[in-house]
Amino acid sequence: MKRSLLDILCCPVCKGDLALDVLKEDETGIIEGTLTCTRCSVAYPISDGIPDLLPRTESHH
Amino acid sequence: MTDEHEIRKNVRKGYAKVAEQGCGCCGPSSSCCGGTTTADEMAGRAGYSTEEMGAVPDGANLGLGCGNPLAHAAIHEGDTVLDLGSGAGFDCFLAARKVGKTGLVIGVDMTPEMLAKARENAKKAGVTNVEFRLGEIEALPVADHSVDLIISNCVINLSPDKARVFREAYRVLKPGGLLMVSDIVLERPLPESVRTSVEAYTSCIAGAIMKDAYLDLIRTANLTDVAILEEVRVPFDQSATDPLFSKIEDAIRSVKVRAVKR
Repeated sequence: MKRSLLDILCCPVCKGDLALDVLKEDETGIIEGTLTCTRCSVAYPISDGIPDLLPRTESHH
Repeated sequence: MTDEHEIRKNVRKGYAKVAEQGCGCCGPSSSCCGGTTTADEMAGRAGYSTEEMGAVPDGANLGLGCGNPLAHAAIHEGDTVLDLGSGAGFDCFLAARKVGKTGLVIGVDMTPEMLAKARENAKKAGVTNVEFRLGEIEALPVADHSVDLIISNCVINLSPDKARVFREAYRVLKPGGLLMVSDIVLERPLPESVRTSVEAYTSCIAGAIMKDAYLDLIRTANLTDVAILEEVRVPFDQSATDPLFSKIEDAIRSVKVRAVKR
């Protein structure tokens, strides 16, 4: 995932902005890390370059 | 099959299998995986040119589409394009060629196996203007007013909450943005026995709704100028071999729908 993409991403549930924590990054972008919603505080992992932005709360309904 | 979570789980499971086996046609029905029709033949029938099929990384085309949503779409260099249910990335890679280096294509899919494949394909081909993310099309992880064009190919019919998909599409589109969707709709209601079958659901049939209802959902989401650009009988060949298909073939249509956010 490219850093520049952060502008266009949001929390899938509350649509809040996401804060990025990087664990691993290479020339293609962020490989491992976490996106955390600044509004509802839910954390979404980035794994193998793919952010997992499946809604957390709704899938348990 | 009324529980949304159950439906999503089944759809995800079905498409994970397709991602692993690299076959299918509008869904992981076992009848077509055992068939002889190739993904390129399927895509040819769905309206893709040989040139387009050759332009994407190997393995990106799984023959899962029911139309070519990009065919009538006005894509400009620098555009941001969002693909709902991007699968192995076929349409994303085609869109990426058109938006160029200054543009961006985002593929959202809820099946991790599909996304892993898509990312691998992007890496192999050295495509840098496509990004994939795991997400649900009913809860898009995309900011308001950020997308010029939304495309989707034979996916929304699988959603247990289509009204929400179109509301989300409206939300993320910029004013003047365009929705171009190829999908399966119904000309007449399906028999109960078909509607309750999980396999039929992942084959884009049981989840499909009546054509007028589908268009109404788009209008209800405040999208305007809703028009059907193309309408054909489903161009798939299961009906010859699958008794389920032969019973319902005349009820199923593949449509290409265009709508605008004013």
